[in-house]
Amino acid sequence: MAKVLVIADIKQGVLKGSTAELLSKAKAIGAQTAVVAIGSNIELLASDLANAGSDTQYIADDANLELFSAGPFASCVVDAANQFEANLIWFGFSESGKAVAPRVAAQLEAACATEITDVTLDGDQIEVTRPAIANKVMQRVKVNTERLVAVVRAGAFEADEGISGTENVVKLSAPAPDLKTVIKELVSDASGEIDLADADVVISVGRGAKDQAGIDLVKELANDLSAGFGSSRAMVDGGFMAHNKQVGQTGKIVAPTLYMAIGISGAIQHLAGMNGSKTILAVNKDPEAPIFNVADYGIVGDLFEVVPILREEINKIRS
Amino acid sequence: MKILTTAKKVVDVELTIHVENGAIVEDGLQYVINAWDENAVEAAVQLKENNGAETTLVSIGGSDNTDMIRKCYAMGIENGIHIDDPALDKADSFVFANVLQKVYEKGEYDLVITGKQAQDTDSGQTGIILAEGLGIPCVSNVIDIEVVDDQHVKVSRLGDAGTEIVEVELPAVVTVSDSINEPRLPAMRGIMMAKKKKIEVMDLAALGTSLDEVGGAALKSEVAEFMASESRQAGQKFEGDAAEITARVVDLLANEAKVL
Ligand SMILES: Cc1cc2nc3c(=O)[nH]c(=O)nc-3n(C[C@H](O)[C@H](O)[C@H](O)COP(=O)(O)OP(=O)(O)OC[C@H]3O[C@@H](n4cnc5c(N)ncnc54)[C@H](O)[C@@H]3O)c2cc1C
Ligand SMILES: Nc1ncnc2c1ncn2[C@@H]1O[C@H](COP(=O)(O)O)[C@@H](O)[C@H]1O
Repeated sequence: MAKVLVIADIKQGVLKGSTAELLSKAKAIGAQTAVVAIGSNIELLASDLANAGSDTQYIADDANLELFSAGPFASCVVDAANQFEANLIWFGFSESGKAVAPRVAAQLEAACATEITDVTLDGDQIEVTRPAIANKVMQRVKVNTERLVAVVRAGAFEADEGISGTENVVKLSAPAPDLKTVIKELVSDASGEIDLADADVVISVGRGAKDQAGIDLVKELANDLSAGFGSSRAMVDGGFMAHNKQVGQTGKIVAPTLYMAIGISGAIQHLAGMNGSKTILAVNKDPEAPIFNVADYGIVGDLFEVVPILREEINKIRS
Repeated sequence: MKILTTAKKVVDVELTIHVENGAIVEDGLQYVINAWDENAVEAAVQLKENNGAETTLVSIGGSDNTDMIRKCYAMGIENGIHIDDPALDKADSFVFANVLQKVYEKGEYDLVITGKQAQDTDSGQTGIILAEGLGIPCVSNVIDIEVVDDQHVKVSRLGDAGTEIVEVELPAVVTVSDSINEPRLPAMRGIMMAKKKKIEVMDLAALGTSLDEVGGAALKSEVAEFMASESRQAGQKFEGDAAEITARVVDLLANEAKVL
């Protein structure tokens, strides 16, 4: 029987939704499930981890694990994978997952696949599906090893509200710190803002907004809708938006119910981060902008004129 | 400081890509330097200019990589190595990492700079696996590299909680994000000089290894089939009076798409 180990996605002490999504998929393919949680002061998460669908919780809780460091995190995952004898080891889509997965694969001599969107098992044969070439093609990948380490693409699997697990905590011993890569400082991203990955509605602003005044205008619309507020790379490069707001291949991958691209041309690298959204609305003054090729609804117009009207009309409907 | 940087020639992602019978249609495709490797090359050249370093580029791949290596010379790279062996046609990240390890071991480098991801595979694994194989530190998704002293660099990494500033003991591998720099356009003089420079070309045997040793005879995974991706259809596009079309779209979002 397949055994899936899911790496818990914990941000600021809170268990993120991707963990339940991955565990739901594991149960759907008939696997036994375990989760590994790594951090500091996270023991209280045990019941959340069980509720998310895991039957064993490997917990590495140590003050030294407060800040992310790929080496020690990988050691914890390898330890849990070996104890559980996992043959599938899944990370949710995150920068730490992308940094740790190849290390774990190298240490376990397992195959490694990133951004997978599906997994199938036929006896012992594992196969995955994943996009490549900036989402322009899909690949079906045959795994030749007994074990696979994978990073699951954001939004690929859905959480099944009906699943649950059982609490069975196994404490992991703290790994040795990595003395060769020492974190000197963490320059935190603005907290208190809505995490793009969790948001039901994401509104992103592009170079069409020109400057801070344009960004503020679009941000008001995001505030009205309690939406996540993202950006194209152009506005990050311009110094207007923080790195963690960038949507796209080098930024966040989002798949919200509603995505609004305001003043964004729709470069392939941007599309790769949002074309899994359920509904896409684009506002762009250029009728030929490539964003319209993926948008369900397109408004050809000047965003400085359109956004205030959008706010007004949306507020009318919602009141 | 001796820097090794890696570059792969990849299909130009801006072109339309067709899939037929499980394979990519090669006709009409063009190949360019992987965008993230261009950032890696720029980072290496800046370190050379600002701190004094010797820069070497290695590329593994088909025989037409010469133009790409010359472009890197024109950007300021000093030495070029081309590992050209048809046996590596189907190689995955593990195999490439093993080959890169052989190259590294021949040159005693202090710092390896790779792109964070190759645009054809979108894997993001090779640099990290290389570091594991060598047993040296690795920091991925780096947006700044600063030399501290002969034994240390300070790098900034974009992580989940913010920008991590990490001091790394050399030798080490860093994989760079496109946010690290804006790759330069080579100047005419550089392009002329690059034409005359030698490229060291080797196959696996000349590198002192074999397909078996680098894991190419027993791939951990392989692409069984390419498929067209589910492309979205263009929906309804409205032009005209802003107030009118915006009200119409909001109505559709609420009552047709039911997302408001
Ligand atoms: C390796 C690599 C990785 C990358 N990763 C990413 C990534 O993760 N995310 C990302 O976004 N990009 C990424 N890029 C960059 C990408 O290629 C584009 O350059 C970028 O997305 C462009 O941003 P933009 O659409 O805001 O700007 P532009 O392309 O300049 O588009 C601005 C748009 O605004 C419209 N406009 C102008 N004025 C108005 C107005 N008043 N009202 C309405 N519309 C207006 C214009 O018609 C135009 O379509 C990457 C590039 C590379 C090479
Ligand atoms: N064939 C190759 N030749 C040189 N460098 C490579 C090769 N394959 C991968 N790399 C390097 O490893 C990085 C990550 O590749 P990948 O793991 O395929 O995403 C690339 O950006 C390159 O810098």
